Amino acid sequence: MPLASATDQEDFFESRVRPLLVRKCYECHRRKAEGGLRLDSLKDILAGGASGPAIISGKPEQSLLWQVVSQQHAEITMPPAEPLKAGEVRVLAKWITDGAAWPKAIRSSKTGPDEQGITDDERSFWSFQPLRQTEITKASSVSDDDSARNPIDAFITQSQQERGLIANGPAAPQTLIQRMTYDLTGLPVTPGETAEFITHASKNRKQAIDALVTRLLSSPHYGERWGQHWLDLVRYADTAGDAADFPIPEAYKYRNYVIAAFNDDKPYDQFIKEQIAGDLLPASDDDQSWQQTIATGYLTISRRIGVSPQNQPHITIEDTLNNLGKTFLGLSIGCARCHDHKFDPIPTADYYALYGIFSSTIYPHAGAEHKPYRQDFVYRVGEKKANETLTIFRNELNQLRKQERAAFERYRAFQTQPIDIPGHNRETAWQEVLDLRSQIAVLAETFPRLETAYAVSEGDAENAAIQEQGSPKDLGPIVQRGFLQVLGGQVLDKPNEQSGRLQLANWISDADNPLTARVMANRVWHHHFGRGIVSSTSDFGVRGNEPSHPELLDFLAAYLIQHDWSIKKLHQLIITSDTYQLASHHAPENAEIDPENIHLWKANRRRLDAEQLRDSILAISGKLDLSPAQSHPLPHHLTYYYRQHEPYVGNFESDRRTIYLFRQRIRKNIFLDTFDAPDGNLHVGVRRPTTTSLQSLYFMNSAFVQDEADRTVSRILNASPEFADRIAWSYQNLFGRQPNQSETERTQQLISKVSKTSGERVAWASLVRAMLSSNEFLFVD
Amino acid sequence: MSIHRRRFIRSLAGSGLLLPGMLSEIMATEPVIDADPLAPKPTHFAAKAKRVIFLFMTGGVSHVDTFDPKPVLNSRHDQEHRARNFYKGSGWKFRPYGKCGTEVSDLFPHIGSQVDDICMIRSMTNLNGDHFGATIGVHTGSATFNRPSMGSWISYGLGSENANLPAFMVISAGLPYAGGQVWGSDFLPAVHQGTRVIPGIEPIANMHRRLETAELQRTELDMLSYFNQQHLKDRQGDSHLTSRIKSFETAAGMQLEAPDLFDVRKESKATLDLYGLDPDDTSSFAWQCLVGRRMVERGVRFVELIDGDSGVDRNWDAHAELTKYDRLARNVDRPIAALLQDLKLRGMFDDTLVVFTTEFGRSPFVASPGTDGRGHHSRVYSTWLAGAGIRGGIVHGSSDELGDQLGDDEVNVHDLQATILHLLGMDHEKLTYRHAGRDFRLTDVHGQVVHNLLA
Repeated sequence: MPLASATDQEDFFESRVRPLLVRKCYECHRRKAEGGLRLDSLKDILAGGASGPAIISGKPEQSLLWQVVSQQHAEITMPPAEPLKAGEVRVLAKWITDGAAWPKAIRSSKTGPDEQGITDDERSFWSFQPLRQTEITKASSVSDDDSARNPIDAFITQSQQERGLIANGPAAPQTLIQRMTYDLTGLPVTPGETAEFITHASKNRKQAIDALVTRLLSSPHYGERWGQHWLDLVRYADTAGDAADFPIPEAYKYRNYVIAAFNDDKPYDQFIKEQIAGDLLPASDDDQSWQQTIATGYLTISRRIGVSPQNQPHITIEDTLNNLGKTFLGLSIGCARCHDHKFDPIPTADYYALYGIFSSTIYPHAGAEHKPYRQDFVYRVGEKKANETLTIFRNELNQLRKQERAAFERYRAFQTQPIDIPGHNRETAWQEVLDLRSQIAVLAETFPRLETAYAVSEGDAENAAIQEQGSPKDLGPIVQRGFLQVLGGQVLDKPNEQSGRLQLANWISDADNPLTARVMANRVWHHHFGRGIVSSTSDFGVRGNEPSHPELLDFLAAYLIQHDWSIKKLHQLIITSDTYQLASHHAPENAEIDPENIHLWKANRRRLDAEQLRDSILAISGKLDLSPAQSHPLPHHLTYYYRQHEPYVGNFESDRRTIYLFRQRIRKNIFLDTFDAPDGNLHVGVRRPTTTSLQSLYFMNSAFVQDEADRTVSRILNASPEFADRIAWSYQNLFGRQPNQSETERTQQLISKVSKTSGERVAWASLVRAMLSSNEFLFVD
Repeated sequence: MSIHRRRFIRSLAGSGLLLPGMLSEIMATEPVIDADPLAPKPTHFAAKAKRVIFLFMTGGVSHVDTFDPKPVLNSRHDQEHRARNFYKGSGWKFRPYGKCGTEVSDLFPHIGSQVDDICMIRSMTNLNGDHFGATIGVHTGSATFNRPSMGSWISYGLGSENANLPAFMVISAGLPYAGGQVWGSDFLPAVHQGTRVIPGIEPIANMHRRLETAELQRTELDMLSYFNQQHLKDRQGDSHLTSRIKSFETAAGMQLEAPDLFDVRKESKATLDLYGLDPDDTSSFAWQCLVGRRMVERGVRFVELIDGDSGVDRNWDAHAELTKYDRLARNVDRPIAALLQDLKLRGMFDDTLVVFTTEFGRSPFVASPGTDGRGHHSRVYSTWLAGAGIRGGIVHGSSDELGDQLGDDEVNVHDLQATILHLLGMDHEKLTYRHAGRDFRLTDVHGQVVHNLLA
């Protein structure tokens, strides 16, 4: 890392002194501060520890540091394990003699961003530019000519005209209500809703659509659909992902917070702030404050790895930063962990400027093999009150835990070395462990159930050092906490008081941040059209795709900001456009010019995703429980001892919507996996639907499809004794339309043929399965 | 139209089942389907291996007790090493086998008998000393982050030779350390993830017809086909619709082919005897090996056979009970040797690569004398290769005289991965996938093909 005003002395420090301190001293004299001494800043070194100042600048032989490493001190010799080599002692002596130069933390307010090597060329990349207001005015003027015209259509029509594309006509009402209902709620439309809408639309199409949008956006199921899109981004799961995959009973609170945030149309800037720094925001009452705390579950669900993730904070923080960059800014920050980003202008120093914010934040520990006890969860009543209530219980618990750990160690000792104690063997040792665990389980029952959240809290505010090549053992210069330089590179104004999360949250959600609104508006667009204006929805960097309609994107982003960051208003704008309402049919002349439909001359036909598919099948069979879910029936957290040899395995049947299913990180849900849903390990901005024979086998042979088909048959048979009515019921509920004459005949053939050999129920079940398996059911026009 | 279907139609034409003129008619009217992600793809250069059987022993097989003889260590057995540490020699005898004389312990006499075809690597290293990190390390090249598994990369790079079966299949009774991440496709399209086969009644999920009769299913699929054709009429030009229609054909093909794939009773008595397999016993590694051979025979590209799961009683993790190695080795030794012989008998040995590995070795030292176990040891351990493009009968690399430190010619997991891709005709630096703003590869920024292993 080139230094701002690199002098020879600072070079000497960076190349010789700092590596030596890091290698030989920091294990004890950095955060641990043994003997009260820290050696990671000049201030601390001069202040010294219990034995006085560590150095006296210019005078090595009078400096404690030199004395203890050169064996000249009467009482102390350092490092304790292995003395320094003579050459290493000389390095320290020279450094002290020369005046103990210590380079300032880089990225201080004095070193301008340009000194970090970001070029003008890099700065001028489209996505880093402010939103273009002039273009918006132009579009508005187009819409002025025709006040009914949606500005989206002005942009789209213009790009179509330039290419000689002629857009399809509007979709039929029954297609439109199906499209809108799936888009906004993820649920199939009911025959009654369709009939009502068709009637309404025949009188006044625009009014009918407006009413429908309003109804769908105020449905509680809207949040369950759009909340899932958000959970994809934040790789939501109910387990930590460590080698033993510890469950997190409180995780669902964040999931429900997200659903509620969409239902309440929480302004997107506020939504961002709460997830990054909700615990630090003002609140009007305790409920609000608690919900904002829960919101930081966004940070805590960062992926944990291995048997002791608590000892690898750099891995957890990398996952946080990676996710934060992609989710909010559409930038890949993670590469800069080890080297200056090769493509996007994100130097390593930027990574550690952000890193310091999260290393100054306390992440709760959900438990892991090497430390099965959880830690740092947040109590609703506050830590002080919780301690008052829990102390006596904790004392008892800690006693038992100590015994349990000791018993477990004895058991492990039996594993690794033969111990000859009469009457004691592996089995008895294990029994002791189990006995103690059941005592703890009994205690758990009486343990006060204080409300907790898997949320972050503030830690010691401290800048972080660059980890050379990403290695936390190889520390380089310390970086001031702050934000990405290509977007301004502000540093914290009060670095000693706060982690900086609040400032980061404000910086990201600032209307002047050129990426935030663009990225979110583009995500909303992506989910409505199946393709973003920037098709790489989480990569707005150099390697991402350029916007197909840059002016439209800026218009939408500005619209979002101007309408108080209301996502629902953005939906409304998009859905009421002609472009959204187009028919989906193919037009060869257009396809020749624009085969990928980038210019939206037709609606993209889209496949139901895993959640829509399961929810639809359950809705049709009548089994779907539409009530929102709370927690999963997990065992009490005081009873967790999972290990990589015996990882946590949970599987809870539920008839609720798919968003409420238990999501486990190292064990995949076969249904979700088969149908391309994310597995909770990775940020997913765009799901890539695949078509596989395993999916088809699922329709042909799975117990789920069979069972729900059978249940559906009961509904069909109960609907009416008349054959014609039954067929109508089937087509209306599964295809959202009436059958035509030839379909009725063909269906009749099937029913009578199968009835003869296998009976009426089987015949109808065959029909239902064929319908559930069909493209008409799986694709939305 | 997929390459398979085109091929199929061409083969009909070739066999005279189609009248002249019909071929071009069919080829013209078939809508062009989006490139089938599993269609066979060309290699970067001529491949030695067409397929891989990857034998993964869960838990960490002790190298000093199996494939890496250490007489010096044995001679110091129970002596103090450093403060609190003692040497632990092997309880098993080593003996030279074959013309090459490579030494193998008495745990693996059958594999020993095959050493002239085996390239023994005694200088393998892994990235991490925990089961979790080391297991994903050898499979994905990263011990810390989620990445696609090697089999997924190979599926992505080469496609499938059999339209009815996936390109990457894993036989694993239980879940290994790190669970499904071991065969996950991560950011690669999900079609490339390993299809897990669970020995038992339904090895592939939903492969068995649930309906009473085949006729009923036929009737139902006819009805489905009717619906899909009606639907397609007004929706020409949508390859997603046509490829999904096709997927029911391949599913029906798989439903037909899969039971046959797993029906080892169709094997001759001689073959069953070779593997030592009771055809009704799906729980043994012999079943996995024989089914693995049947998979590669049917065109599956990458077959992984996982021995053991995360339960210590069922895997090679031996902190306390090395004696269980007798039982564990008995379960795999003969079937693995049989697999090599069987591939030869069928003329498939020359284009099938067999890899035997584990996540790490085990320590030559113990905390107290008499301990019947060893700790994890990722610094150096043993792995072997045989078959396509491999120099048989050699030993590559070494550990030090104790089996503690790396001796010569390190082969790390990235090198192993690079070498496997090389044998399959792929340059590990060119097999890339664009994700999150950069081109990822299996070997990340590491990996060198180990040319000394190659014939």
